[in-house]
Amino acid sequence: MSASPMATIDPATRDLAAVLAAYPEVFKQAKLRRRQRTAILLVIAAYLLFAAWFFDITPYRLFGGLGNMGIVIRSMVVWKNVATWDYASLFQGMIETIAMAFLGTLLASLLAFPFTFLAARNIVKPVLPRHAARRFLDLMRGVDQLVWALVFVRAVGLGPLAGVLALIASSIGDLGKVYSESVEDIDQKPIEGVRSTGASRAQELRFGLLPQVLPVLLSQTLYMFEHNVRSATVLGIVGAGGIGLQLSERIRVQYWDQACFIIILIVVTVALIDLFAAFVRHRFIGKPVAARF
Amino acid sequence: MLILESLGKQFDGRAAVDRVTLRVARGQMLGVIGRSGAGKSTLLRMINRLVDPTSGLIRHDDRLVSALKGRELMRWRAACAMIFQQFNLVGRLDVVTNVMLGRLNRHGFLGSMAGAFSAAERAVALQALDRLGIAQTALQRAETLSGGQQQRVAIARALLQEPEILLADEPIASLDPRSSKLVMDALRRINRDDKITVIVNLHDLDIARAYCDRIVGLANGSVVFNGAPEDLDSQALETIYGHDVETGSLLDEPRRPTDFRVWAAA
Amino acid sequence: MASQPPVLPATSSQSLSLFERQLKAQRRDKRLSTLVSLGLFLIVLAWSIEVSGFAPSVLLAGLPRFGEYIHLTLPTLSLENLLANTDTKGSIPYWFFNFRHYVVLLFQTINMAILATLVSFVLGAALSFPASRNLAPNRLTYLLARRGLEIARSVPDLVWALLFVWAFGIGPLAGIVAIIVHSTGALGKLFSEINENIPMSPLEGIRATGASWFQEMRYAVLPQVMPLFLSNVLWRFESNIRQSSVIGFVGGGGIGEELYLVIVRNYYEEVSALVLLIVLTVTCIDLLSAHVRHGLIGKERLA
Ligand SMILES: Nc1ncnc2c1ncn2[C@@H]1O[C@H](COP(=O)(O)OP(=O)(O)OP(=O)(O)O)[C@@H](O)[C@H]1O
Ligand SMILES: [Mg+2]
Repeated sequence: MSASPMATIDPATRDLAAVLAAYPEVFKQAKLRRRQRTAILLVIAAYLLFAAWFFDITPYRLFGGLGNMGIVIRSMVVWKNVATWDYASLFQGMIETIAMAFLGTLLASLLAFPFTFLAARNIVKPVLPRHAARRFLDLMRGVDQLVWALVFVRAVGLGPLAGVLALIASSIGDLGKVYSESVEDIDQKPIEGVRSTGASRAQELRFGLLPQVLPVLLSQTLYMFEHNVRSATVLGIVGAGGIGLQLSERIRVQYWDQACFIIILIVVTVALIDLFAAFVRHRFIGKPVAARF
Repeated sequence: MLILESLGKQFDGRAAVDRVTLRVARGQMLGVIGRSGAGKSTLLRMINRLVDPTSGLIRHDDRLVSALKGRELMRWRAACAMIFQQFNLVGRLDVVTNVMLGRLNRHGFLGSMAGAFSAAERAVALQALDRLGIAQTALQRAETLSGGQQQRVAIARALLQEPEILLADEPIASLDPRSSKLVMDALRRINRDDKITVIVNLHDLDIARAYCDRIVGLANGSVVFNGAPEDLDSQALETIYGHDVETGSLLDEPRRPTDFRVWAAA
Repeated sequence: MASQPPVLPATSSQSLSLFERQLKAQRRDKRLSTLVSLGLFLIVLAWSIEVSGFAPSVLLAGLPRFGEYIHLTLPTLSLENLLANTDTKGSIPYWFFNFRHYVVLLFQTINMAILATLVSFVLGAALSFPASRNLAPNRLTYLLARRGLEIARSVPDLVWALLFVWAFGIGPLAGIVAIIVHSTGALGKLFSEINENIPMSPLEGIRATGASWFQEMRYAVLPQVMPLFLSNVLWRFESNIRQSSVIGFVGGGGIGEELYLVIVRNYYEEVSALVLLIVLTVTCIDLLSAHVRHGLIGKERLA
């Protein structure tokens, strides 16, 4: 290694060849990296071309659509005949949405509670019931909420009841999964402590486990509620109650200003619900858990 | 020639640097000393314009540095390299890339977004690393290096900027004695061989005496000493560090004894 | 609950009674607040049952109909003909007679999700820098980027789809754009939170070399956040797959259109066939992406 003194590092006077000879692997690696990067970029570019062809995305369609969107947005910001809007049914729809989310989350959490233990590896040792429980939860989760909604609309008719049932069906899957995972994450020591006093298995769970997981479960239920308020806003689009029905009707008849008002209503409500949930979490639970929905 | 005229910086109405007037000749190695909070870092960061002065002027030759904006300001920063106590490297990038980042100012938008450094630049970077004795680490991630090695990577990055001035803010404060010597030697060699002006904040008085041509003492943001290392007598030290310092290399506030007393009382 | 600390009691019995009194007061307060919360909860519950028409009678009438419905959708399979051809009743090919068509639609759906995820990754990453408090070049760009992302995120993608279907016409393009907008918002917000937690010293180091804001983002921020961006975008991909499978309900293309049709037209056996296919696909992609994500994290730990 020659510590050659460099009077100047002007690019013109450097001896590139000498450095190249001394540290060939650095240049080799640089070349390799450049090749990798080019390859990745080429793959992405090729995919974009394929996708454009496959979906028939042409600049003409793209800009035409965006132009139409410009028209929509322009008519969204000009509010006409504000006095004649049917506010009662809009607010009714929003309130219905929140009620659906509340009821759906509450009932789903009750129904999902048994899975807390049934699907947890450290509680139910036998493989069969645990796996059955898990596959059931996966199935409930795998079917989208909107599909549930449509199915329940066929079964119990149009209206919020179908929405509540759809929320219950898909939330059972989500809640059952995170409930059992939080039981799997817990600290074993308090349980052993209770066991050492000669407690039964049920007592172990009641006094060693439950106090640990209950705040976590509550917190996750609150997250589920926030999530369900968001998704309940669109259930109405397939006729399962809530504000979504109002929104899709306004859009169908191109009342863009009223549609805009409803969207603002949704955004504000969702933000308020998030604030409320954060308050409850802070005030009554106080134990931070990461959101999983 | 770098000239500071009545330079000042206020944080929330409190002066961190207070009307500092200073001339630094080209090619000089200037040490800045002072107790913690005296304003050493703020002074250096104003020269590189990482911090905007609240009053006064900075000139370099015929450039009015304190008024620069936009591209001109970036060009000044490139000409006025800076190294930091915590090295401020990008830990997840490899060493040679870190060094090449010193050339960013010379790259256009598209080229630098694509990460296109030329083979010539890589060669210069390797040469700089070689000169500092750490070329064998070129392909390691910067965060896997020791502190002394990281600081030398930072110096190599500064060299790639081909700066006229090199600012060093406590470059050896988190290093062991052996690494400290390596880093200070490197700074001095750059100063002597490349004729680059070096301004270095130091808290070790012996090191300041051994390496610097001239020493400036700051207290409460003002210059209270400005002279040759040999003029730094005990009286001068008292004005710089206050009354609780008797001898040469006992420096900043005696933090640990204070803490200890607090514990003892609790 | 402003319970004063006991002020140096004269005798121990006095202090004990003071302690007990405070304990009682505290318990009373607590019981009161619990009662109030419980009362509120019950009121909200009653109200929401009222609003959503969740009457036990309706429910009891509805649930058997739901069971009936599920029963109708289940295929009639007979063991001896299980693997016979499409024309034989009771065989799997008979159940999945439209399989070719479904596969084409599934392929379309998956590609919608891939394209939307790819584009929203780039857009979300680019917008996350001005939307991070510690990185934004100035307050105005910060507010614009932040608010923009929040709006994009808090409007559900189905609502975006309703709008874009009007603008682009029925078909996958509308669905893709809708998913892009929503997931750009979601990813941008998430990414900006990641950005806000990085150490700032490398940025300062790069700024001091005379680099521009874009160069700072590219060289001081991106290398730090890229692994986290990648593992989060995989998670987003999973949810985009789900979304693209239902966005067809409002005309956004993909397999959702077919699913909507077979449900409203009561093609019962096709409902179960399609749902089964979608659930299987979604599950497979979840597993695959979880695998890749663990690989990413593992590599991160080793390095
Ligand atoms: N960003 C800032 N905001 C507010 N006050 C600051 C800021 N930076 C520095 N200060 C204050 O300015 C004064 C000078 O700080 P400076 O960092 O320049 O001192 P220093 O001599 O470098 O000290 P040290 O030896 O501890 O690094 C200190 O009182 C410090 O609290
Ligand atoms: Mg300092």
